[in-house]
Amino acid sequence: MDPALLPLPVVLPIGGAVLAPLLSRLSPRAPMVVSLLALGGASAILLTFATDVYAGQLQGHAVGHVGPVDGAQLGITVTAEPFGLTYALLTATIGTLLLLYSLSELGGLGAHEAGWYACLAQLLLAAMIGTALTADLLNLFVWFEVAALASYGLAGFFLERPWALEATFKMMVLTNLAGFFVFVATALLYSRHGALNLGQLQHALTGNAGRADLVALALLLAGFGTKAGLMPFHGWLADAHSAAPGPVSAMFSGLMVNLGVVAIARVALDVYAVHRTALPGILLVLGPLSAIAGAALALGQDDLKRLLAYDTVSQMGVLLTAVGAGSLTAVTGFVYHLVDHALFKTLLFLCAGAIVHATGMTRLSQMGGLARHRPLTTAAFLLGTASIAGVPPLNGYASLGLIHDALRSDHPAAFVAVLLAQVLTVAALGRATYLAFFRRRDDEYDPLERTRPGALVAFGVLAVGCVAFGVLPRVVVNHVAAPAAAVLLDQNAYAAAALAGHATVTVTTPAFQYFAPEELLIAIGCIVAGVLLCGWYVRRPEPRSITFLRRLHTGSVNDYAAYSIAGLLTCAAVLLTGG
Amino acid sequence: MILVNYLVGVVVFALGVAVILTRRNLVKIVMGLSLIESSGYLLLLSAAYRRGSTAPVLLKPPGGQSEQDLARGNVADPVLQNVCLTAIVIGVAVTAVLLVTVVRIAQHYRTLDADRVRDLRG
Repeated sequence: MDPALLPLPVVLPIGGAVLAPLLSRLSPRAPMVVSLLALGGASAILLTFATDVYAGQLQGHAVGHVGPVDGAQLGITVTAEPFGLTYALLTATIGTLLLLYSLSELGGLGAHEAGWYACLAQLLLAAMIGTALTADLLNLFVWFEVAALASYGLAGFFLERPWALEATFKMMVLTNLAGFFVFVATALLYSRHGALNLGQLQHALTGNAGRADLVALALLLAGFGTKAGLMPFHGWLADAHSAAPGPVSAMFSGLMVNLGVVAIARVALDVYAVHRTALPGILLVLGPLSAIAGAALALGQDDLKRLLAYDTVSQMGVLLTAVGAGSLTAVTGFVYHLVDHALFKTLLFLCAGAIVHATGMTRLSQMGGLARHRPLTTAAFLLGTASIAGVPPLNGYASLGLIHDALRSDHPAAFVAVLLAQVLTVAALGRATYLAFFRRRDDEYDPLERTRPGALVAFGVLAVGCVAFGVLPRVVVNHVAAPAAAVLLDQNAYAAAALAGHATVTVTTPAFQYFAPEELLIAIGCIVAGVLLCGWYVRRPEPRSITFLRRLHTGSVNDYAAYSIAGLLTCAAVLLTGG
Repeated sequence: MILVNYLVGVVVFALGVAVILTRRNLVKIVMGLSLIESSGYLLLLSAAYRRGSTAPVLLKPPGGQSEQDLARGNVADPVLQNVCLTAIVIGVAVTAVLLVTVVRIAQHYRTLDADRVRDLRG
């Protein structure tokens, strides 16, 4: 397939974003049709590259320029390689599904509002696809900012509740600060090496990471860590991801949060990997910290969507722990879990959004007995919960199994931390499931609105995805996760694709036993411990440790900014002294 | 390299951070972000500077030089200047959206005090 087509998956959604508000004057359905066509086209083009790319044939294309000049790539390069392609395909397909859901669930929207909603959603999706494909640091910054601007619009789009404004403001301040970090890092690296191309930077950084380069690395980690919700940069995430309606929250927590994770993995593994920097150590500290604290905070929440948002912080911690571990099995598990998380978190947020929309309630303490009124939503939520809990044979079991397997021997402390986070996660989601769906509720609900077909389609597709990615682990590992891990771990191949436009990577599949006794015991043990903790927690007052964690989250944008600055300075200090 | 430019950039950045960390007024927080962005612009322009260089304009260069001669000579770095322009455009857009949100918060909460807009916490 001609790599000159690579910009099209980004151009199409942007074109759709322009057309949606214009065509909304013709018909209220036009925005949905335009969006589905644009994203469908993007998905199709990405799929045409899939066969060769997942076989290990990397491709690249320099937009507006042809080939390097004196070893310097002057054009903006986009690449087709397994890792970026995986995230791009995930974004395009789930994004299509979410827009179908949105413009169905939010049928009460006027044509004008539907048009602008479709516009912002497609801009956000285009930015995420652009992030996945680009091999240019400045372009990465631009996509970061486009995603940020579109997400501001989406977060504040439905002012159903006044705290959407508060969430939007915090999101803007903290994400803008993060964008500045990425911006300065880009300037530092360019000033020092004369390169914006990631492949060229990789070559320049070989054996030559100076202090300015390490400062730039700290800035990139802080900037993309904010997007990924990595502690201590995470303050905005729970507010923003929970204040928006269900489909927007699903887009944020299922897809947009991955933008930061993908960028960190790209920088950590493909650009800086050859250095013995302290970055893996930092990720192995902050990752488990995020995982445990995020899950503990999730356990302490009464707001259903906020609970799910903090679980996102926890899951991102698990993912970045795997990036920090850096072995073939760990990185394979990382890619696999990235996809899995997108599937089950999107499903959970759509269910939560459907419930909130139907009942008008957001607090678990108000809910109860929804299983009788909403059997299909209950089934979908249960499936999402079981996936995230790692119940075999669902997708979470397979991907978490890989990560656990990688951490167990090489990083036992991180392994124990991730297991503890898993127990807390099971408890948190078990509690949410019980309180919302199965606990007896004295007052009867007002008559609930029927679930719309678009919602059922979305639930069904995501549920099938959770099951399929769980029962076909061999296919996923061999054809998707292992090629992606190979590219992340072979920075020379990635650099060649980014500079020369083509490269070959050797795909190595990690040893993987699906029903290994140890992993089965770990999964079942976590589930049992989590259920017991859930049962205990539902009947007891909040433990002091969780109260302490919650008090640290003051809701003040000043405090959250202080945490981010402190985190940045700490990371910079560790990198400079640990090198 | 003009050291004073970098020092001023650092000072402006520090002022911006100080404003964001200490001011509760929403408008002032937005101003703090603008200060931080401005320090970035100054950093970029300073990094693009070359002593005695000419502007990186390749149409009709002065003094009988050809475009190729000029391009291989001493010019300020156009890439960093372009990065700066890109950042300025993005900064203006972000500031505009920030101020719109501040206006809406003021309309709804009847205050510009960030401490009174803290329902989401814990």
